[in-house]
Amino acid sequence: MLELVDIGRSYRVGPGQMHILRDLSLTVAAGELVSIMGGSGSGKTTLMNIIGLLDKPTSGQYRIDGQDVLGAKARELSRLRNRLIGFVFQSFFLLPRLNAWRNVALPLMYRGTPEAEARRRAIAMLERVGLGERTEHMPAMLSGGQKQRVAIARALVGEPRVILADEPTGALDPKVSQEIMELFLALKREYGVLILIITHDPGVAAQCERQVVLANGVLTETRC
Amino acid sequence: MLTRVIAEAAANLLASRQRSALALLGIVIGAGAVIAMLNVGAIAREETIRQFRQLGTDILTLRADGLTGLGNFQLGDIEAVPEMVPGVAEIAPFVIGGGSMSFEGTTAGGSQLGVTAAFAHVSRLRLESGRFISDHDRYELYTVIGAGLARQLSNPYAMVRVGSGLRLGRYVFTVIGILEPVLQSPMMPVDIDSTMFVSLPNVRRILSNPSLSMAIARMRPEAEPEAVTEQLQRYLGPRLRDATLSVQSAKQLIAGMQSQMQLFTLLLGAVGAIALALGGVGVMNIMLVSIAERRREIGVRLAIGAEPGDIRTLFLAEAVILSVTGGLIGIGLGLAGAYGFAKLSGWAFVLSPTAAPLGAGVSVMVGIFFGFYPAVMASRLDPIEALRAE
Repeated sequence: MLELVDIGRSYRVGPGQMHILRDLSLTVAAGELVSIMGGSGSGKTTLMNIIGLLDKPTSGQYRIDGQDVLGAKARELSRLRNRLIGFVFQSFFLLPRLNAWRNVALPLMYRGTPEAEARRRAIAMLERVGLGERTEHMPAMLSGGQKQRVAIARALVGEPRVILADEPTGALDPKVSQEIMELFLALKREYGVLILIITHDPGVAAQCERQVVLANGVLTETRC
Repeated sequence: MLTRVIAEAAANLLASRQRSALALLGIVIGAGAVIAMLNVGAIAREETIRQFRQLGTDILTLRADGLTGLGNFQLGDIEAVPEMVPGVAEIAPFVIGGGSMSFEGTTAGGSQLGVTAAFAHVSRLRLESGRFISDHDRYELYTVIGAGLARQLSNPYAMVRVGSGLRLGRYVFTVIGILEPVLQSPMMPVDIDSTMFVSLPNVRRILSNPSLSMAIARMRPEAEPEAVTEQLQRYLGPRLRDATLSVQSAKQLIAGMQSQMQLFTLLLGAVGAIALALGGVGVMNIMLVSIAERRREIGVRLAIGAEPGDIRTLFLAEAVILSVTGGLIGIGLGLAGAYGFAKLSGWAFVLSPTAAPLGAGVSVMVGIFFGFYPAVMASRLDPIEALRAE
């Protein structure tokens, strides 16, 4: 499903080059739940950006579903992200001026789905993540865990192939964290969607069937 | 899709009301100035037409300027003008004087005109009651007065009417006619409405050294004012002693007033345009601030699948809504201002048909023009940079 081959990413820093990622290869099949662990500065956010089609590697190949995605321009990348990838961020990144269902419906809106259908699907997805009672709430009126559920509903509503979660439990207390992880596991079984979780919480990583550790731009895998 | 974008843009603007209102202000002032200018221009134009409607545009006024003051026409020369000058249909000479008149203890200042019978016809005066001065009145102490003067001299216990006695100096004139109200004309040296008319011979009684220095003439329908002026100069010029003739035509006066008005309109228009441009810069500034503040939102939208074009449309819609709202308020204020101006100056209010559509159109243009750069800036944001923003 996801195929990264010999990915390298370097930045020009003054006269020299700083290599964030070097010759990184990773293949993830559909429906897998993979955790990527790594300390700060290990390059895990850069890797996440590349997988999420927000950044381009300086070398290597990247295919989603066998499709080479590195040649795409900004507009095509937007469409690919919209169709293929759902993002979940550490600090939720809900749009403060939109209520819960409008936040969830946003990916559908950018796809041109008629509003009535987008609303129906967004509300159904909110019900699935346990927020059927709060579809009209503004983000400011929701707790951290509820915000993250809205964000997960938003990531899933467009039926993407990949969910990318960057520290999804980083801003939540352990009990709520565990609820969110259970939700991820349930959704993975239910939708067969590939989930990549970036975390530095070993407790979170332990619940994933594949664990990858990123250090100094190089991946090492531990399978349990 | 478009209605959704507009609704979302409007909601975003409402979320920061104070800032949006401040950004509006410049556009409001600019659009208001443009609208007010256009409408005041239309009102002034209408007013000019109204002023000239009374006397007509085929009028000439003649004045003899002496070396030290007013010159003198010879009555015979003037009365021969319609025969000798082909372009002139009729002419009426007159003498101007000033002094206060009193009636039953009420005194009013005003002008006196010594006129011939032709004056009423040449200057299209209509009588409300009585009759005008006749050439046969000669030394009879008869007078015709303007409606305004009659009103000024009247009091609730004693109305000036035909037959009333009006004192001027040592003489008491009998009112034989009262004119209908007339607007002051730029062609006449006095306000006819507050003037007392007497026969030419009587002028000697009320003025110490009267001079027959002015005349009003009506041209034949097909005559050109320039040609007639030249004919008059050729005929009357040599017959004046120690004086020169100056001729003013209504058409020339209108042309002069119009070019003056055009300059005035242009000036106001320039002020309005500058205000609009400054308003546009204000909108641009607000949009840039708003985009800087909402970088993360832009990043989220891009990550979720918004195309750069979607982001551009959203921010452009915000800028256009801002300037259109400002424009509409400005149109309202501009019209109110023009109405106030008309009320204050006592002129009739007319709605300029071009003003409102032009104002709305210009404010949309300002919104698009000044909103475009920030919107393009927003659409070109790198999603990673934008997501990292605090």
